[in-house]
Amino acid sequence: MTVLSAEQLSKQYNGTLALNNLNLSVDKGEVFCLLGQNGAGKTTTINLFLGFTAASSGKAMINGIEVHPNDSSTRQFVAYIPEIVQLYGNLNGIENLDFFSRLAGFKYAGAQLSSFLLKAGLQETAHRRSLSTYSKGMRQKVGIAIALAKNADVILMDEPTSGLDPKATDEFTRICKELAADGKAIFMATHDIFNAVNVGARIGIMKQGSLVHTLHSNEITANELQQLYLETI
Amino acid sequence: MFLLLLKSFLRSRIAVAGIVIVLLAGITGIFIGQQHIRKQQEAIALTEHFQQEHIQRNAQFFDKELGLLLYYLRFSLVNKLHPLNALSIGQRDVNSSIQSLTIRNLEGQKYDTDLFNPSNVLTGNLDMGFVLIYLLPLLIIAFTYSLLSEEKEDGTWRLVATQSKRPVNVLIRKLFVRMITVLMVFAVLLLLATFILSLPVDKLYLAVICLAFIYMLCWFGISFWVISLQRSSSTNAVILLSIWILLTVVLPGVANNFITSRYPVPESMATVVQQREGYHEKWDMEKQPTVDRFYAHYPQFSKYPLPDKQFSWLWYYAMQQMGDDEAAVQVKQLQEKLRLREQSSEYIGYFIPTLHTQQQLNSLAGAGLANQLQFMDSTARFHERMRLYFYPKIFEEAKVKSVDWDMFKVEYFSEEKRVSWGGLLLPLLLVTLVFSVTGWMNFNKRMTAFA
Repeated sequence: MTVLSAEQLSKQYNGTLALNNLNLSVDKGEVFCLLGQNGAGKTTTINLFLGFTAASSGKAMINGIEVHPNDSSTRQFVAYIPEIVQLYGNLNGIENLDFFSRLAGFKYAGAQLSSFLLKAGLQETAHRRSLSTYSKGMRQKVGIAIALAKNADVILMDEPTSGLDPKATDEFTRICKELAADGKAIFMATHDIFNAVNVGARIGIMKQGSLVHTLHSNEITANELQQLYLETI
Repeated sequence: MFLLLLKSFLRSRIAVAGIVIVLLAGITGIFIGQQHIRKQQEAIALTEHFQQEHIQRNAQFFDKELGLLLYYLRFSLVNKLHPLNALSIGQRDVNSSIQSLTIRNLEGQKYDTDLFNPSNVLTGNLDMGFVLIYLLPLLIIAFTYSLLSEEKEDGTWRLVATQSKRPVNVLIRKLFVRMITVLMVFAVLLLLATFILSLPVDKLYLAVICLAFIYMLCWFGISFWVISLQRSSSTNAVILLSIWILLTVVLPGVANNFITSRYPVPESMATVVQQREGYHEKWDMEKQPTVDRFYAHYPQFSKYPLPDKQFSWLWYYAMQQMGDDEAAVQVKQLQEKLRLREQSSEYIGYFIPTLHTQQQLNSLAGAGLANQLQFMDSTARFHERMRLYFYPKIFEEAKVKSVDWDMFKVEYFSEEKRVSWGGLLLPLLLVTLVFSVTGWMNFNKRMTAFA
């Protein structure tokens, strides 16, 4: 069942084509990884699905609803994990989770909030610690917990493993797979080819705003993907 | 969510520092107000005490001639202080609250007041009015200038915008948290002031609370509008501080300059000259014309003929009267101009929230020009009443002992204050509404570019 799709989606910024006629779909329980250089149009695609910017032409759809101008409706189905999960420095991990959950309309008890953080891989001792002691990986885990607490159908990730150490990346991959197994559709923009092959069911390669290749991860190895990627860009 | 936002806000060092600074300034302001009231009350108590002593001592010393005794005797009228004056000292530390007058010409005595510290006039007072009008807006600016920009600069806004159906509601809540904090700071100060200054909880007190509340709301409205422009934190800070300077310094200064140049008062000097000449030149003139003019002013005293001797009290007090009579036109013009100045500044204040709040606060505390003008009118009536009581006794050469001097206690003028709620609050409410609605429209217009 398709939960996220783009139909001839294009975006122009001051005459420059940032996204050109994008067509793709992501099903429930599927992880779609989008590769591409900086400026290829990955973040523009995510912004269009989040409703942060309006499409110049075409449609960005979430659960069959066109994002623009219904972005306030479609956002309830979407969770977002940016490259660096920026949280409120004056609140601890559990308070941040509580705040962002309430924003999405969910009120959880302390134990429930803790369980989301644990599921996201954040150790209990860190839940009430000052955010200034959090590493990037720990912040990512709070970001995942926010997505879990929202129980969103679609999780949009913008270069989530950038800057994470190998262990943290591995843990993140495991969590992504668990989320997909739970039926979440994950759309991930990334530079990390090996992680894309590891976690993604399908992989797209973008160049100058166009989706040039779409591959199934079980049809290609990481090295082959790297070769194709380098030839494409 | 409110509690989390409050927690997040109050854990920031800037918030705590701002609150502490304003609380300290406010407490200082309360004690400065208390000192002002105490000083005035001490002066009034001394006046009450010494008026009787002064009358008794002079009545003993100048017991032969009533006219001579009344040359020296002073009777006091006190401009009663409202306890709210401690919150807004206004002009009450410059304009004397006590007028001690002889029955000689009035105009020469009006401005013979006690000394005041000129440095106070230059710097103004750090009273609660100052804290409200100047410092609280700075606290509001410090608390709100980066309300949205900080989130965008720190990167939290994208997450907020994703999680919330209407991200602008998060801003409203954040603004509300800051509003509650600022209002609480003011409430604490007001509570302390009520306790320390024994302020009566009456209609005027309620008016001060409403005025302060709407004034702060007005600044939140201005801040909300600046936030809605969605500029960087530094740009917001510059815009808001520029507005603060404009509203607290530049515009009131321009308004004052405009009013003083539109309504110049050369009459103030002319009054002094006229009353002095009106009186002094009579020494060198024939007595009868002076007395005739006195009779024309007070026909009831024409039954007292001018005594045929070198000096008479009838002639002397007629001369004194001429000082006032000849300056009467200038006095009227001066009062008229001062009233026009008051009226104009009130009208201009409708468009300048700071000026309006200052004027209204002074007015509620009986510390403005209107109070001073009314006190001067009352002084003139008091002086006239004294004259009319003593003139016949002087002209009949009554014995000093025939007067019951004990009945001349210090008298009080109390301004009758009516609160015009519309005039008090409507200008500020309108400004608040204009900025808030414009801010809201800006947010709605730029929703897609929100993150």
